[in-house]
Amino acid sequence: MRRDAFNFVHPAVSMLFFLFVTLITAFVLHPVITGISLAAACVYYIMIKGKKGVLFCLSFALPVMLLVAVINPLFNHAGTRILFYLWNGNAVTLEAVLYGVNSACMFAALIIWCACLTSVMSADKYVCLFGGLIPTLSLLFSMVLRFVPRLLSRIRRVSAAQLGVAPPIGKSPVKGVKHGLSVVSVTVSWALESAVNMSDSMKSRGYGLKGRTSYSLFRFDGRDLVLTAVLVVSFAASCAACALKAVWFRYYPSIKFTPPGFFPIAGCAAFALLCFVPVLLNVKEDITWRILRSRI
Amino acid sequence: MPQSEEKAKRARVLGVIASALVLFVLVPGVIALGVAVWDNRKYFLISILILILSMLPFFLSFERRKPSVRELVTLAAMIAIGVAGRAAFYMVPQFKPSAAITIITGAAFGAGPGFVAGAMIAFVSNFIFGQGPWTPWQMEAMGVMGFLAGLLFYRRDGRLPKLVPLVIYGAAAAFLVYGIIADTSTIFTANSQVSWQTLLAAYSSGIVFNLIHAAATAIFLLILARPLLKKLNRIRVKYGILEA
Repeated sequence: MRRDAFNFVHPAVSMLFFLFVTLITAFVLHPVITGISLAAACVYYIMIKGKKGVLFCLSFALPVMLLVAVINPLFNHAGTRILFYLWNGNAVTLEAVLYGVNSACMFAALIIWCACLTSVMSADKYVCLFGGLIPTLSLLFSMVLRFVPRLLSRIRRVSAAQLGVAPPIGKSPVKGVKHGLSVVSVTVSWALESAVNMSDSMKSRGYGLKGRTSYSLFRFDGRDLVLTAVLVVSFAASCAACALKAVWFRYYPSIKFTPPGFFPIAGCAAFALLCFVPVLLNVKEDITWRILRSRI
Repeated sequence: MPQSEEKAKRARVLGVIASALVLFVLVPGVIALGVAVWDNRKYFLISILILILSMLPFFLSFERRKPSVRELVTLAAMIAIGVAGRAAFYMVPQFKPSAAITIITGAAFGAGPGFVAGAMIAFVSNFIFGQGPWTPWQMEAMGVMGFLAGLLFYRRDGRLPKLVPLVIYGAAAAFLVYGIIADTSTIFTANSQVSWQTLLAAYSSGIVFNLIHAAATAIFLLILARPLLKKLNRIRVKYGILEA
């Protein structure tokens, strides 16, 4: 585990990053683009989660990838190069197999990016982003986040109290279920009743009055501005490369793609820059740290 | 209060206009764009775009209605119960009370809050279970279940809905609404060819899970619906929350 530098940028920048990367990854089915995205997602995830991250990548992504890769050629018979015939007479084509593999890698990349997103975008960042735009829903969201752990701790307290008052004698499962139900009933009543108390308290403290702001821990500073510029420029460059077919790959009916040259490589490089922004940021922090330490 | 009633009416009209705009202009627009520009192959992205668009009117009309603080906090408590319930039963696949809680919330608060509760339960519980491409699908599925429950069972006069229809609806909604939306999502995320065969394959492979989910929802409704609705009703009578 490390101190992830990308975790400390402004939530708007993080959101923009995940939006750009997942958009291009989901949209451009090109082996190089998918490969870059998958590699960057894995490197970043391993960076923030350590060894556990590698295990996650393998244990979770691989079966899903296999499934996706197998489903496509079984059901999709487009393409020209036939590999073999299925028991029902349908053809399995090379194009469909490769398409399935590429889709599988794309799916894996998206899943790992989403895992990174879950780790970076904590709930307070969502509230910071959407608090001004949709205040009621953001408030609802942040209240739910507070209520869940409180509910769980109350369940433990109620359960302990119920065991003291009316312990289920014997090991009959019916009594266990009864105990569980009474715990749930008490906890729910408590939660609803205290919700009303809480709303009265909120009202008397001025909820809903004009000109009230939501608390946010984040500040948009110079580094965030630079990062936003890098993200926007590299995203625009990758989009342009894809739109102008400098980065272009077709699977059906036969495989065709733009041969490598200056523009295709530049387009892929722009996308690589976009994907590796968090990794690069972490590397930069490490280098700065080394230099600072060597000066002591 | 006539002023607030007028406001609520205006919000409702705006909500209808917004949903019509989304349904008849934006969604066909995205589909047309997908067919014309992107060669009709970007199922995954287009399906997610359409999902997000279709959720917008519900959220916006909830936002515009400006629900009272008491309704908001009680709704948050119900959503938290749903999330905690899903977390409590995490080791049994598909055996979870969150759909039942969503349906109860819809029946007690109405269609709009029912949608918001369902979508929010899916969204927040995925902070525990992991966000992914499936999040919007689960949000939509749970939201629709809550919305329909509100349409069918919500009574302005506060009378409790009958238990048997509620349980039947719960099982049917978990099997049909949630099952179909969740199974469709597997096809779209696999980015595979969409055809009747793949659809059939996905639906038949999901049948066992959907049956478990339907049974779980029915059982939880059978156990929880009466007491929970009674408790909500008691709060409503005691504090006058839900009468706007």
